[in-house]
Amino acid sequence: MSGSLEYILSGFEKAVDLLIHLEPETFSAVLATVQASSMSMLASLALGLPLGFVLGQTEFPGRRTVRTIVDTLLAFPTVVIGLLVYTFISHRGPLGGLELLFTLKGIAIGQTLLALPIVVALTAAAVEGQDPRLKTTLLTLGADLRQSARSTLWEARFAVLAAALTAYGRVVSEVGISMMVGGNIKWHTRTITTAITLETGKGEFGMGIALGVVLMVLAAIVNLGLAFLKKRSES
Amino acid sequence: MPNKKTALAFVALISCLILSMGGPALAGDVLKMASTTSTANTGLLDFLAPMFQKDTGIELQFVAVGTGKALALGQNCDVDVLLVHAPATEKKYVADGFGVDRKEVMYNDFVIIGPKDDPAKVKGLTVIEALAAIAKSKASFASRGDNSGTHKKELSLWASAKMAVPEKDSWYVQTGQGMIKTINVASEKAGYTMTDRGTYIKYADTLKGNPPLVILVEGDKVLFNQYSVILVNPAKCQNVKSDLAKKFSDWITSEKVQKEIGEFKLLGKKLFIPNAK
Amino acid sequence: MNSPAYQLSGLVHQYGPKTALLLDELNIDRGSIVGLAGPNGSGKSTLLRILALLERPTQGRVVFLGQEADFESARQRREVTLLLQDPYLLKRTVLENVAYGLRVRGDTNGLEKRVEEALEWVGLVPGDFMGRSHGALSGGEAQRVALAARLILRPRVLLLDEPTASVDTSSARLIREAALRARRERGCTLVVASHDQTWLEEVADQTFHLHAGRVAGAGPINLIRGPWQEQENGSALRELDPDNRIVSPGFIKQNSTAMLDPGEVSLHSRPPQNSPGFNLLFGKIISLNLTDHGSLVRAGISVAGLVFTACLDLEAFSRLGLNPGDPVWLTFEAQALKWL
Repeated sequence: MSGSLEYILSGFEKAVDLLIHLEPETFSAVLATVQASSMSMLASLALGLPLGFVLGQTEFPGRRTVRTIVDTLLAFPTVVIGLLVYTFISHRGPLGGLELLFTLKGIAIGQTLLALPIVVALTAAAVEGQDPRLKTTLLTLGADLRQSARSTLWEARFAVLAAALTAYGRVVSEVGISMMVGGNIKWHTRTITTAITLETGKGEFGMGIALGVVLMVLAAIVNLGLAFLKKRSES
Repeated sequence: MPNKKTALAFVALISCLILSMGGPALAGDVLKMASTTSTANTGLLDFLAPMFQKDTGIELQFVAVGTGKALALGQNCDVDVLLVHAPATEKKYVADGFGVDRKEVMYNDFVIIGPKDDPAKVKGLTVIEALAAIAKSKASFASRGDNSGTHKKELSLWASAKMAVPEKDSWYVQTGQGMIKTINVASEKAGYTMTDRGTYIKYADTLKGNPPLVILVEGDKVLFNQYSVILVNPAKCQNVKSDLAKKFSDWITSEKVQKEIGEFKLLGKKLFIPNAK
Repeated sequence: MNSPAYQLSGLVHQYGPKTALLLDELNIDRGSIVGLAGPNGSGKSTLLRILALLERPTQGRVVFLGQEADFESARQRREVTLLLQDPYLLKRTVLENVAYGLRVRGDTNGLEKRVEEALEWVGLVPGDFMGRSHGALSGGEAQRVALAARLILRPRVLLLDEPTASVDTSSARLIREAALRARRERGCTLVVASHDQTWLEEVADQTFHLHAGRVAGAGPINLIRGPWQEQENGSALRELDPDNRIVSPGFIKQNSTAMLDPGEVSLHSRPPQNSPGFNLLFGKIISLNLTDHGSLVRAGISVAGLVFTACLDLEAFSRLGLNPGDPVWLTFEAQALKWL
């Protein structure tokens, strides 16, 4: 009992140490995490916001089916996504020539697949939840369809932001894709989560907890930053 | 609209951050290797990789996975070279044409560990006797069960003891997880398991030298664990950098590096015995 | 160039199986003020959405400013704009709400100046309101901001859907004035759906009365409710009292309602000859109003407790010499009754 408590305490101590001294291995893992998750977030937002808008506002045949599929994809396990992406970008796979295996771009592709259904589903719900008068108002003031989509998303900006944050939380904490596609290569594709897996595998539980704390600090910085933005735009 | 501007600035900042972070791998040759968790977890590869770069200018990037997956990565042309420890499988792999130029590099050894009070009374026995004693007493035995090199080794021990793998018996627990987690499972169940020595040293160290599980069987020849380097067959995989792989293979079996491997210590204890021919 | 603002023909609009609108023909002249009257659910809002080019009718033809209406692109839609009864303001400042339409048009020269001017039109002090948040407005102020957001676009047609129904009286006055000024100074065509009969009659060049999605004529419509009795010849009979019996062709249901256009009703100061195919009723004049810029007289007549409205031109009315309280005879063709 006292042993495991010790892990946690020494873990926190180590976390502070790693952060203060900008320990290069930790810094590299943080950087890799930030890079991969930023790429995947940009991609999933760029694709997911328009798709979510279409799904939330327009009527087309098969819309219900698409919604069901998207909702199902929310539960897609990361190792399966990792495996799927691996089979595609392995040299034997159809996209093997692109040299994406064991790269951050490869990880970002997998994470995009992870984040996309979240962004689409939550954006669709946010758009659907908007006042029906909004669409009428935008169109009668002369917005074309693209402008109306943009303005609708801007009206729903807090809900959309919440969608992005949910997706970000999932992306930054996943390990299956990063491990399978990235390969946990030191200085290159070792992210915070794969580093935690490695440290735990080595029996360095304290280090694992320390990295976990680093990850939470990172998430907290992003959340606080967005909360600050939200507050500013509200006032 | 100050809020929109702030949001834009934020996005711009992130984009700049991403763009400015070019990978350090841009310059120079890169060799991709698939190896096993044991070599990575003990820190041996972290010790060798910078040395290799210094000697040859080639950056060694390694993926640490189970031997089964390492071989699959080679078969899919996703890596250039393999450092693995499952001799029988490796020989078949080379015979099937997926790998070439297999060279033995070093070995470490496995040990059988168990509770200090040793309920099955295996201390000092040979491996074959020890397994029979565990099976007879129905004491818990934790197996990796993940098709890793270590798991394969354990299966071969049951075979050499002329016993069927007791997969269906309730005392035989397959964890499907890494070595350290499997040791912890054995510890929770006050049972036995087979582990590589390196992982055990780390395990004992984290418990301040007073671990609940101790080494009971060691030194038996069948417990030796041979590591070999294999080049991915360039005839099957045109993208692989077989020239770099060859350099690595020659380098790790060279006299100088062999000596370094012999000197490598984990927590003050030697782990690997070099045996390249 | 001087084609009407709208020419609608053969218009049918359905929501699922329900027919919301059925118009044979309806024209709206440029620069005119057109009123739309009728109870809730009569199709006024649906018609306005079609006129705003927001909703394509299920069937029929819409010609807008001389061109076949295009419901897909923003091009024609930018010539017309609709003000809703309950305005929706974007979650932005008042300035950005009013400027939105110009921004999507990419027309942002002197934006702030134009927003100021638009706010002044609806009686809002720009310095006080421009920087306000969308949430910091009363209902009447919000409606006026919404109107300013439309006036700034200088639309060719301004559609108002119950614009004053849920605002305070001074806002209502300012909204009416601003709309009329747009038509006076810019020749903007106004189409107004309103329950405010007095205002419509005062300003509208023409008012269409809608009932169950159909245009029922110019003027308030008479509704004759059941019970109807089926006659031997298949026609329907409504007996108000033994002397006042209404016959309508084609019995449908006991509790059907028949409509009667006030323009179809003739008045007589002496008992007329009853001819076949005509209904003859006897009542008392209870009200007389001048309407449609003084060219028409609208008379309210009580018949066996039921109030009928009749419309006739001023000249014909003068010849009758009727006053409120006088007895009067009404005639109208049985064929003039339409089932609702």
